[in-house]
Amino acid sequence: MDATIFVPLGLGLTVFGAALGIGKLAVAAAESVARQPEAADKITGAVNLPLFLLEGVAILAEVFIFLMLILG
Amino acid sequence: MIASNTDHSSVSVLDQVGPNIIHHVSNSDISHPIIHFPKIFGIDFSVTKHVFMLWFVAVVVMLTILIPVQKYIKSNSKRKSRWVTMIEYVVDLINDFISRPNVGTKWVMTWTPLFLTFFFFILFSNLIGMIPIFDFIGFIDRFVLHTDQNSVINQLLHGGVTATGNFNVTAGLATVTFFAIITAGVREHGFFKHWMNLVPHGLAWPVYIILIPIEIMGLFVKPFALTMRLAANMTGGHIALLALLSLMAIIGEMFHSAAAGIGVAIVSVPLSAAISGLEIIVCLVQAYVFTLLTAVFVGMAINVHH
Repeated sequence: MDATIFVPLGLGLTVFGAALGIGKLAVAAAESVARQPEAADKITGAVNLPLFLLEGVAILAEVFIFLMLILG
Repeated sequence: MIASNTDHSSVSVLDQVGPNIIHHVSNSDISHPIIHFPKIFGIDFSVTKHVFMLWFVAVVVMLTILIPVQKYIKSNSKRKSRWVTMIEYVVDLINDFISRPNVGTKWVMTWTPLFLTFFFFILFSNLIGMIPIFDFIGFIDRFVLHTDQNSVINQLLHGGVTATGNFNVTAGLATVTFFAIITAGVREHGFFKHWMNLVPHGLAWPVYIILIPIEIMGLFVKPFALTMRLAANMTGGHIALLALLSLMAIIGEMFHSAAAGIGVAIVSVPLSAAISGLEIIVCLVQAYVFTLLTAVFVGMAINVHH
């Protein structure tokens, strides 16, 4: 059991964190649209940017894991 | 993948699957290019698989988007064909929802062409990468035509590939974004004020010691994240698809019977088809995200409001 077992575990933790963040964002968006349906477009526009930044974090983690596994 | 002409019968399937997948999504060998070009300043300009797909996508975008739009602009009657109407719908969407809210009305005519170029190029490149036409022709080549290992046809047909799946391509696009951010800020605020706008004004001076390196790092991390996001999404999708399809061969090898492999195919092939559908959604979303983030970063350089 050498140290490379921690590499996919790290990926799992990172994706877990990103999924939690995206989930909280979705909850906030859904609640605020429910309170004010006429602001739905603005809320969607405001949610877009953090959503994709978080998704980028998860994808970056996946890329680094692949590099670590294949190169190291 | 299955259509390559090399003979692998002595190595087990489990050992071949990994390198096969990597070989499918990575670039072809520079020593056996499709078209050989000489070295200029030490850089080998030969056309490999990824470069060929890049040119192919560029030609397709030019033929389907640029030339009809130019014809419409130059025409006197201004009567739109259906295709130009469809393009105009997408252009209006990007203008109203990506460009104008982020960049502001003063600069929307300057920066919308860049965003449109990004959107159409990345969209076409992603979608063309999903079409397995080169694998299909390679299949015919393996079983019908039997061309030589290093011929142009065989080189061409080791799978078509997503042009934006190569991170060098997306790094090129992100470099354009990098310079676009600087250009937008300099044109709006002047050269020195743009760099001074990196950090908000009116803070206590110890904060600046930490904030300035963080902002300078952010200047480079944002395009880096753009490149890796697009490249990893495209390559990762294809790797997942290929791994699912390789499951048939792996299970067939593990149980030493072709029937087991065919049995797995009942699960594997529909699942791959469903994930291909998801991949098409990811293609659209990634094109939209790249364009949106470029617009947001350019807008942040123009309208500085921390």
